[in-house]
Amino acid sequence: MNERETIELSGLGGLVLPYARPLLGIALALLVSAGLILATGANPMVAYAAMLQGAFGSVAALANTGVRAAPLLLSGFAVGLGYKAGLWNIGGTGQIYLGATTATVVGIIPLPVPAWLHLLLAVVAGFVGGALWMLIPAYLCAYRGVNLVCTTLMLDYVAGHLVSWLLHEPSPLAEKGTFYPMSPPILPSARLPILVKGTSLHAGFVLAVALGVVLHLVLRYTPFGFRTRMVGENPEAARYAGVDVVRWILLVLLICGGLAGLAGAGEVLGLKLRLFDYFEGFVGFEGLALAIMVEGNPLGIILAGIFFGSLKAGAGKMQIVTGIGAPMALVIEALAVLFVIAIGFGERGGFAQRQQKKTRGKEG
Amino acid sequence: MGRSGEIALRMVGITKRFPGVLANNNITLEVRAGEVRGLLGENGAGKTTLMNILYGLHQPDSGEIFLNGDKVEISSPREANDLGIGMVHQHFMLVENLTALENVVLGLPLEHPPLLDLEPARARFKKLANEYGLGLDPSTPIWQLSVGDRQWLEILKLLFREARILILDEPTSVLAPSQAERLFETIRRLADKGRSIVFISHKLREMKEVADRVTVLRDGHVVGTVDPRETSPTELAQMMVGRNVFLDRRPRPPAESKQAVLVVDGLSCQDDRGVPALRDLSLTVHAGEIVGVAGVAGNGQRELAECIAGLRRPMKGTIRINEELITGVTRDPSLLGYIPEDRRKTGLVADLTVEENLIIKAFDKPPFARRGILQWSEIRDRANTLIQEYDIRTPHPAIPLRHLSGGNQQRVVVARELNAEPALLVASQPTRGLDVASVEAIHSMLLQERNRGAAVLFISTELPEVLAVSDRILVFFKGEIMGELNAEAADVTLIGEMMLGHRERTE
Repeated sequence: MNERETIELSGLGGLVLPYARPLLGIALALLVSAGLILATGANPMVAYAAMLQGAFGSVAALANTGVRAAPLLLSGFAVGLGYKAGLWNIGGTGQIYLGATTATVVGIIPLPVPAWLHLLLAVVAGFVGGALWMLIPAYLCAYRGVNLVCTTLMLDYVAGHLVSWLLHEPSPLAEKGTFYPMSPPILPSARLPILVKGTSLHAGFVLAVALGVVLHLVLRYTPFGFRTRMVGENPEAARYAGVDVVRWILLVLLICGGLAGLAGAGEVLGLKLRLFDYFEGFVGFEGLALAIMVEGNPLGIILAGIFFGSLKAGAGKMQIVTGIGAPMALVIEALAVLFVIAIGFGERGGFAQRQQKKTRGKEG
Repeated sequence: MGRSGEIALRMVGITKRFPGVLANNNITLEVRAGEVRGLLGENGAGKTTLMNILYGLHQPDSGEIFLNGDKVEISSPREANDLGIGMVHQHFMLVENLTALENVVLGLPLEHPPLLDLEPARARFKKLANEYGLGLDPSTPIWQLSVGDRQWLEILKLLFREARILILDEPTSVLAPSQAERLFETIRRLADKGRSIVFISHKLREMKEVADRVTVLRDGHVVGTVDPRETSPTELAQMMVGRNVFLDRRPRPPAESKQAVLVVDGLSCQDDRGVPALRDLSLTVHAGEIVGVAGVAGNGQRELAECIAGLRRPMKGTIRINEELITGVTRDPSLLGYIPEDRRKTGLVADLTVEENLIIKAFDKPPFARRGILQWSEIRDRANTLIQEYDIRTPHPAIPLRHLSGGNQQRVVVARELNAEPALLVASQPTRGLDVASVEAIHSMLLQERNRGAAVLFISTELPEVLAVSDRILVFFKGEIMGELNAEAADVTLIGEMMLGHRERTE
C-alpha cells in the first residue's frame, strides 16, 4: 500500500501526499505534451480546455469518459492483482480477446432463460474465457518455472489472430456478407443495461468501479489478500508460513485472466454489441501502464483509469477544435507512466548510487 | 611481532556524518608497510564507513588521508586503485558467467587495443597464483568456483592491480574454518612482502590469529589500539561493546528428562542441486536439552533443519515431533519454533510491516482472522505485546520490516517463533551476522528455552559457540553423524577431526 509517500523536491523540501508520485508524473506529462502541442502550432491551453470539455463538459462527455474507462479499469486490475503477488501479467490483450469471444458465443445464442440470467451467463463466460486463456501460461509459470512475461506476451498475438480466424467465414461465429469481419449481434437479453438514456454509458463502468473497491478490501482485509501479498514479496517465507505457493500462483493468475476477460466481455456486451476483428486496441497494455503507475493498488487504478478514460474521451473534442490527432491521448498516457517510473527510480537513486549502497553493506 | 616498516597509510581526524548518524567521529588511523591491522567493532561502529572513505566510495566531511607521507584526495574507487588501494568487499564483486581471468582483467586497460589479448594477463595470473599458493585456474568460470576460491580470486584481483594496501571486509564470514586458516596464511605472506592489510571483523579470535595490532571502534570513534596477543578476548569484547559481555559456557542444571521430543529416523534427502545431503541419519533430542550440531557449512545441516521445518521433502525416513509425524510445514506454533539460517529469505518478508511479520504463520486463524476478515486491531495488539516483551526496537508496528536493524529483525523472528512456547526449537545459525551483544542475547534465549523444558536443536558452524551453548554435540560430515560428545568435556581436537570426516574412535 502506498498510502504515504514522500517526494524530495529540490528547493521545495519534502512533499507528503497519498499518490504524490502519480500526480506529479501526470503533471509533468501534461507539461511536456503542452510543448508537443505547441510545436504543432496549436495553443496548448486551448487544446487542454477542449479536452476537459470533451471529457467532463456535459452529461454526454462524462458518459463517454465512463465508457472509455470501463475496460481500462478491468484490464488494470488484471495486471494489478498479479503485481501484488509478484507476477507480471502482460497478457491482458489476449485474455480480453478470449473473454470477449466466450461472452459473444453465449450472448448470440438464444437461451430459454430470463434476460438477467442470460446476461449473467455471458459475463461469467467472459471471466472463464479470460481465465482459460491464462491457464497455459499460469500452469507453465507455477509448475514449470517458465517466464510469465514471455508466455503471456506471446499469447497476445496468438489470441488476436485466433479471434480474427473465428470471425472469417466459414466460421460459425462470422456474420455473413459483411464489409469487415464481425460476429452476429449480441441478443438484447444479454446486453449490459444503459445507465443514462441517450448515451452509451453501460453498467460495465459501475461494475468495474465496484469490483475495484471489492478488490481493495479483499487485499487489505482478508487472509486471501495477506497470502497474495506475502507470496508477492517473499515466496520462500510464504511457503514456510504454510502457503502452497505453486497453487496460489495458479489461482491468482487465473483470477487475473478472468478480470481481463471481463474487460473484453464488457466491451462486447455493453458497447460494441458485436465481436469485431482486432477490436482490442491498446486496452491490455494500457492496463499494464495503469497498474505500474499506482503499484497495483486497485483504488489507484480506478482513479488513474478514469483519468486515462477522460484523455481518450477528450481527445476527440480536441481534434475537432485544434486539429491535433486523437492519438495525443496515448502520448500523454505514455509520458505519464514514464515520468511516474522515473520519479520512482529517482527516489531509489540511480544505478551508480544503488551499487554504492550495496557495497556499504550492513553498516551505514 | 611488531613489524615496523614505514608508515604507509595515515588517516587523520576523519569525520563522516550520515543523516541522523555520526558514522565516523574524528578517527585517526596509522598503518605501517608490512602490517596486518585489525579493525574491530560491532555492526554500525563505523568500520566499513571508514574503509569506504579510504576506497573513495564516500567523501569525509573533514579529515585528511596521507599515503607514504603525501596528502591524497580519493574521490572514486578508480582513483583508489590507481593509488594502490584495493578492497575485497563482504559480498563478492564477480561476474558469474566470465572466467576467473576475465574477471581479473575486467576494467583494466587493454594490452593491445582494440583487440582483447588475454595471453599476457594469463601468464601473470598464473605467476601470481603460484607465488601466493592460490591454486586457481584462470579459465574456470566463476559459477564453478567454491566460495573459498572466489575469495582467493578477489585477492588476486588486487595483486594484479599492484595494490599496496589491501582492505578485507569481513572476509571469513563466508569461509569454513580450514579455508579461513588458509586465508590467514595468505594474509601473513602478503604482509611479509611489505604490503599493508586492513582486516575488518567482529570476530575476536580472528584478530588474535592474524592481526599485528587491533584498532577497536565503537559508535564511530576509536576506543583504542592494542596488541591482540597481550589482550584477552574478554577485554577486547568489553572495548567493543562498552560493557561486560559473556560468551563463555554458562552453568546450568543438568539435563535429566528422558522424554524424546524430536525423533529423526533413517532420514535421507537431497540438496537443491539433487546431490544427496543427508544419508540415513538418525538422531533424538530430549525435552530440556540443547543438542548442538557442529560441522563445516554445507554438510547437511541446513537440509536437516529444512526437513524438520517441512520445507524440504525427505526421500526416505521419518521425522516425529512429540510422536507426531512431520510431512509438511507445521503450522502448530506450540509444536515447532524454527529460526531459519537465512532470516531475510525464509523467516521474514522484508516489505511487509513488523506487525504483519509477527503473524505470518497465524494470519488466517482466530483471533487474527474471523469469518474470513483480518482483525487488524487484534493484530496490532499482538504486535504491541511482542514488541514490548522481546524488546524489538521499532518506531511503529506498521513500518516495513526492512527498516529494522539485523538484530531487531532477528528478534521479530524469535518473538514469533517462541511466543507459543514450542516443544521443539530448531535454531539454524541464529547468530550469523549479528553483533556480540545480540549473540549474547540469542545464547541466553536458547538456554532459557532449554530450562523451560523445550528440546533445542542448535546448528552452528562456529565451533566455540556450539561448545558454549550445547549439552550434547553431534558432528556432521557429508550428511552423516561422525560422532556424539558431551559438550561439558568435549575434546576440541577430536571434534575438529570429526568435522573433516574421521569417525569417532570406538574403544
